[in-house]
Amino acid sequence: MRNKIPDFLLCTPKRAQDAGERGTLRPSYIEKGIGHLSEMITTGYLNVGQDSGKGFFQKLDPRVKVIFLIFFVIIVSLKTDILPEAAITLFTFLLVVSSRINIAQFYRRIAGLTFIFGFLVVFPSACNVVTPGEMILPIIHLSHPYEFLIYHIPEEIGLTRQGLDCVIMLSLRMMNSLAISLLVIYTTPFHRIIKALQVFRVPQALLLVITLSYKYIFIFVKTVESMYLARKSRLVGMARDDEARIWVAGRIAHMFRKSMSRYEEVFRAMVARGYAEEVKLSDIGELTATDRRSGGFFVLAGIFLLWL
Amino acid sequence: MRETGVRQSVLFFLYTRGTKYMFMAQQASVVGMHIPDGYLSPQTYIPLYGASIAVWGIALKKIKNELSAKYVPYLAMAAAFSFLIQMFNIPVPGGTSGHAVGAGIIALLLGPWTAVIAVSVVLIIQAFVFGDGGITAIGANCFNMAIVMPFVAYWTFNLIKGFSQNRVRILAAAFLSGYVGLSAAAFSAAFMFGIQPVIAIGPDGMPLYAPYPLSIAIPAMAIEHLFLFSIVEGVMTLVLLKYFLKNESTLVYAMRGDSREEA
Repeated sequence: MRNKIPDFLLCTPKRAQDAGERGTLRPSYIEKGIGHLSEMITTGYLNVGQDSGKGFFQKLDPRVKVIFLIFFVIIVSLKTDILPEAAITLFTFLLVVSSRINIAQFYRRIAGLTFIFGFLVVFPSACNVVTPGEMILPIIHLSHPYEFLIYHIPEEIGLTRQGLDCVIMLSLRMMNSLAISLLVIYTTPFHRIIKALQVFRVPQALLLVITLSYKYIFIFVKTVESMYLARKSRLVGMARDDEARIWVAGRIAHMFRKSMSRYEEVFRAMVARGYAEEVKLSDIGELTATDRRSGGFFVLAGIFLLWL
Repeated sequence: MRETGVRQSVLFFLYTRGTKYMFMAQQASVVGMHIPDGYLSPQTYIPLYGASIAVWGIALKKIKNELSAKYVPYLAMAAAFSFLIQMFNIPVPGGTSGHAVGAGIIALLLGPWTAVIAVSVVLIIQAFVFGDGGITAIGANCFNMAIVMPFVAYWTFNLIKGFSQNRVRILAAAFLSGYVGLSAAAFSAAFMFGIQPVIAIGPDGMPLYAPYPLSIAIPAMAIEHLFLFSIVEGVMTLVLLKYFLKNESTLVYAMRGDSREEA
């Protein structure tokens, strides 16, 4: 039986970025904005502290996890050999497995970030132009060496063993730091991480500012997303750049007014609940025997890795 | 024969996919200038943590004195707003679009000391939640983007604007404040990267952290910022300030008479 819905409503609309049949795909500022927002909500809100399972890390007190995070990230930054870094990679992997986190999703994110921020940025330094040393893979052979300002381009350009060691070292270090950070982030709600920073004597007022702003970011992000969708649904064809700039400026100004009026409301609500300049966060409670044992285990493991 | 094939494959990768991924990497790491873990040695990131903590202390004290009990929700909203600015992409001449760091416009709208705390809170959230910037590098990132950038932007604006009420001059000051502010932050980050092969080397003389010397780090950051990213930042600062001056000039901190003495 044929329905009465007009054909044009049944067609899948073309995305604005596909408007040109050929040439470079260039998403508009609206699509880029929506892309940013959805990525932010996915990574920042859905992934953080959502793993409330019964894994090893989920059971730990956030203070133990924060101390673990800072202690191990510093250890990672202090190690200068590949072997200890590889040992840290293995140790972190075991912790991830014991915490019953989705390993594929976890390491996919780490691999992506390490590849972009670590490997690709550092890889050119493996060439003898940046890191001289024992050539293991010649790439280009020039007719003669060049001198350009303060730069020296050798006759033969290629990858050196020392350069590759440096690339592997930096990539491993970055991967380990990310794995340790994400392990804590995936297993702890953000406000509990921030509250746990009290163990490092971070002023409570600053912690409250961070917690409040984190919550309001996600409230405002919803508003910004609605603005973009409203704009996209009312836009036929492409807007002129100057019009788009005025629209963006107007929306940011609107968010500014909104955040300033919200601050007044929040302040009144805080005063109504007894706030009077002195900030005091609620007590986190005592550490359990498991927390203490785990803390001791992390300290011993850290000392071993430092010695390695 | 086989060696030639490998060489050609490497060259092919470098010239095709490599170029694309390098661009992605630059977009991701340099526009935001979020220094990840592993690039800075402890002898760099520890002093920068110290410097940032000292400036945070001064900023908190100043804002608390000015706003009394209101300072906590005020700073939280300022930080949320600072984060949201980065969510807006703005088209720039040349057919592309990009987002700004926003520290410059925050300094002009709310004052440089508020910008210090607001942008720092954003960077801390980004490091802990999104993995943008390392935990060990929070001090360095805050130093570049939450201290150097807002103050340089604010001083540039005041220097160029002077006591003039000329609209064109004010708008030129707004553009240059964003442009110079981000460029200064980029130079600061480049300097941090560039000194690593000098201050942190292994027994064999090889760099242990960021491998690029100053002679590479500074030109690399300078070229892309002076010719692209700082322009986006300048345009964003100009467009926003223009809008505020037209519609709500009283909200702009940098246009108040007493703002200079406080900063």
